[in-house]
Amino acid sequence: MLHLLKIDLKKMTSYRTFWVIGGLYFITLGLGAASGMEFLKWLARTFEDFGTNLNINRIPLYHFPDVWMNLIWCAGLLKIVLAVLIVISITNEYTYRTLRQNVIDGLSRAEFLLSKILTNVMLSAISVVMIFVIGLLTGMIYSPSLDWDKMITDTEFFPAYFLELFCFLSFALMLGILIQRAGLTIIILLLFPAIESIIAAKVDNYVPSLIPYFPMRSIWYLIPWPFPRYAFQEIQDYIKWGSVAIVVAWTVIFNYVSYLKLKRADI
Amino acid sequence: MEAVLSIKNLTKHFGRIKAVNNVSLEVKAGQVFGMLGPNGSGKTTTLGMLMGVVNPTAGEFTWFGEQPTHEIRKKIGAVLEHPIFYPYLSGQKNLELNAMIKQCPEANIPKVLELVELSERKDDKYRTYSLGMKQRLAIASALLNDPTVLILDEPTNGLDPMGIAEIRELIKKIAANGKTIILASHLLDEVQKVCTHFAVLKRGTLVHIGPVGDVGKGEETVEVSAEVENLNELLLAFAGTSSIDRENGSYHVVMREGFHSKDLNKFLFEKGVVASHLLTKKKTLEKQFIEILASS
Repeated sequence: MLHLLKIDLKKMTSYRTFWVIGGLYFITLGLGAASGMEFLKWLARTFEDFGTNLNINRIPLYHFPDVWMNLIWCAGLLKIVLAVLIVISITNEYTYRTLRQNVIDGLSRAEFLLSKILTNVMLSAISVVMIFVIGLLTGMIYSPSLDWDKMITDTEFFPAYFLELFCFLSFALMLGILIQRAGLTIIILLLFPAIESIIAAKVDNYVPSLIPYFPMRSIWYLIPWPFPRYAFQEIQDYIKWGSVAIVVAWTVIFNYVSYLKLKRADI
Repeated sequence: MEAVLSIKNLTKHFGRIKAVNNVSLEVKAGQVFGMLGPNGSGKTTTLGMLMGVVNPTAGEFTWFGEQPTHEIRKKIGAVLEHPIFYPYLSGQKNLELNAMIKQCPEANIPKVLELVELSERKDDKYRTYSLGMKQRLAIASALLNDPTVLILDEPTNGLDPMGIAEIRELIKKIAANGKTIILASHLLDEVQKVCTHFAVLKRGTLVHIGPVGDVGKGEETVEVSAEVENLNELLLAFAGTSSIDRENGSYHVVMREGFHSKDLNKFLFEKGVVASHLLTKKKTLEKQFIEILASS
């Protein structure tokens, strides 16, 4: 297993695009996550211009346990960048025809796929760790009290975040394997949520019970939008097991489709 | 001798096109096996199936008497069609990656780079290599795991005469080490020079298989010219003449079985004619190849 991951990392770590996209992703993730207070200050200034006072200290953006869900939800928006990286990684194997040579050299098709899936796992795991560290630091800076109970509340969002990322990257990998061209794959990857929501809107009129099963929707809504709670609205501040099951099912389906396609194709 | 590769009724259809049709053959240890055939005759598709990148429609094959698996492919060095590497990696890094895939020690890398004379350029990116260097790196990669079988598909494609000569020397060097080599090529001269056996494919069907040594056997052709008027009649009178053909001012005499150029020379001399030009021509693989393709 580790051997296969090393093979894929060997391909990636000398590839400049990998560092550029990966670097941008992690820098944006870090800066974005850490600059929430600045955003609140800007918000407060804007409100002041309209003569309203907004006490930003009353918005516990970075207080434990709110910080976890807030950060994770925001970080989830950036998964598209990571997915583009995965698409480039897999479609390169087709354009350079190195997939073919890898198999000739003695990698089985399943091993090849596994090496890519393991990279997805690794990138998802790094993102989780990074958000955890940022959350911990900012939480410790801004929280009025470091209460252990509060700190460990809501940490179940981390496994959910991992699942969200891994499922989306599996989807990107599958699209890459099915389409094989970087440009087209990225366009479809970006348009897919829009297309899906148009279809979903139609379906909603007839069988609304189907809506939660749509792939993109299930991924994007796994972690609910946390911010309405600061406008005194009720939010879902927990993970539904049903949603987890749907996302796990899609993850299995995406990777299995990749496997079938790779197994049957002449490469 | 032990069969390294045994193919039974291997078939591949792409839609309605029969790329490979019911091919059966055996390659034994130590052979240098040439696969000949015009473009599109199914050579690369056959090799692709043997190396697990093309799924056969029907038929089967065994490597070393075993069912093919990816583990067995690690013991075979293969370059199909053209060299394939990661363009953004250096030659050295590409080989390191190959060593990881083949699970062989990286210590082999300097050795193979030395063999193909690429040691000096090993740290340059693959995309900066010339075509000849790419071909040589591909051969280095195929040799990385010290394989017992080497598959080379058009290894001299697109090379200049110098490059062709270099690759040919390299193949000879490798063959001298007792490796089994399967070589697909259009360059018949090359196959005749390095191969021990050859097979001919035509539109996916195997039309001939046999040792290269047999090619030169059989009838001889002798090219003769002499400064006499009636050379044509004299040659017709010779008992060993099977047919005569006039070309570029000299006569091409196809000899009957058992007659050789020295018999013809003797005959002319006895008739008081001294030949100014006498050349024995054995049949070339090229000629045989064209005959095989025409007759099938």
